[in-house]
Amino acid sequence: MAKMTLEDLRKLREGKKAEMTQRDSSDKSARIIIGMGTCGIAAGAKEAFDAFLDELSSHNVTDTKIAQTGCMGLCFSEPTVEVEVPGMPRVIYGNVDDKVARRIVKEHIIGKALVSDHIFDKPAADIIK
Amino acid sequence: MHATICNMIIDLVHNSIEAGATEITLKIEEKDSNLSVVIEDNGRGMNAETLTKAMDPFYTDGQKHKHRKVGLGLAFLYQTVEMTHGTVAIRSQEGEGTTVRFNLDPSHIDLPEFGNFAQAAVAMISHGFEGDLTIEHSVNKKSYTANKAELIEVLGDLSEMESLILLKQFIEENEKDILDCEAIFPVIHPEIRNQQSTIGNFNERWAIYGKNDT
Ligand SMILES: Nc1ncnc2c1ncn2[C@@H]1O[C@H](COP(=O)(O)OP(=O)(O)OP(=O)(O)O)[C@@H](O)[C@H]1O
Ligand code: FES
Ligand SMILES: [Mg+2]
Repeated sequence: MAKMTLEDLRKLREGKKAEMTQRDSSDKSARIIIGMGTCGIAAGAKEAFDAFLDELSSHNVTDTKIAQTGCMGLCFSEPTVEVEVPGMPRVIYGNVDDKVARRIVKEHIIGKALVSDHIFDKPAADIIK
Repeated sequence: MHATICNMIIDLVHNSIEAGATEITLKIEEKDSNLSVVIEDNGRGMNAETLTKAMDPFYTDGQKHKHRKVGLGLAFLYQTVEMTHGTVAIRSQEGEGTTVRFNLDPSHIDLPEFGNFAQAAVAMISHGFEGDLTIEHSVNKKSYTANKAELIEVLGDLSEMESLILLKQFIEENEKDILDCEAIFPVIHPEIRNQQSTIGNFNERWAIYGKNDT
């Protein structure tokens, strides 16, 4: 099998750019932040990260950002993930394994409904802008 | 203990990130008889006293975790090395950087499985820290290098889905290329496979990567 080089990657990237339609500015996109502290990693944060990526791409959701952070101080509910969808309260989910990550994509990011049984924390209604 | 070597590696790279490193190199060399991992950073480093403490299981700097008073990263590494009779060495110079180096026996029965390195590499390269990361991964005679700065130059912001999808494709293709065991073991007789755990391991990992092919 031939190895994929940076040049191959650049061509792929340029192809994608050409077929992409002009999109709105990025403040309209959803954001996922995954806690990658030691306990997050031990509890499967890397697998959750991959599941988000896989599920989002299989639903063609491209206007979402995935970021990583260190310790969220919530070891007992790792992996923890913060999800911010414009127009919805910011939510922290606990115990996000592969299945839950895929549910968050389908129900929260696409369906705009919270995955209530995995919410660890959400800010009180009055501090939401 | 971490369930996979890959998780252990991510954790050690995070130590370098947390030490403020702007230049991190991760070198993984897999041979049938030895797995060698070197993580080198130019972070804040440790003085002799901190280094001694850091090698003590359960030391942490007292800032990283609000609710946890023990550091687990290096403890997990030491535990794995001890359990499987591997070797580990940490060299560190305050203000200069740190090098963590370990060797493990891939055929040791107690060694955690290697894990999915493509997933690990994508997570490490797309981690938003301010600094560069170079990954060199070799399996026997085949190898590839992935450099964060170059990948950002080609793909743009690595927290964007489009970039991440291409990054994953790039890493997976290169992983497949170095794990391609058909060239080395054209026909693996079931009996031989059972005798040689490293070959079995190759196959399992090949199967993981092969799955995404369809
Ligand atoms: N690459 C490094 N550069 C500088 N200091 C380091 C490095 N790696 C470890 N240390 C020091 O050793 C301490 C112990 O590391 P260890 O990974 O065991 O625990 P931790 O990082 O504090 O917590 P945890 O890994 O559980 O998140 C760290 O707090 C840090 O002070
Ligand atoms: S990573 Fe879990 S308490 Fe910090
Ligand atoms: Mg650590």
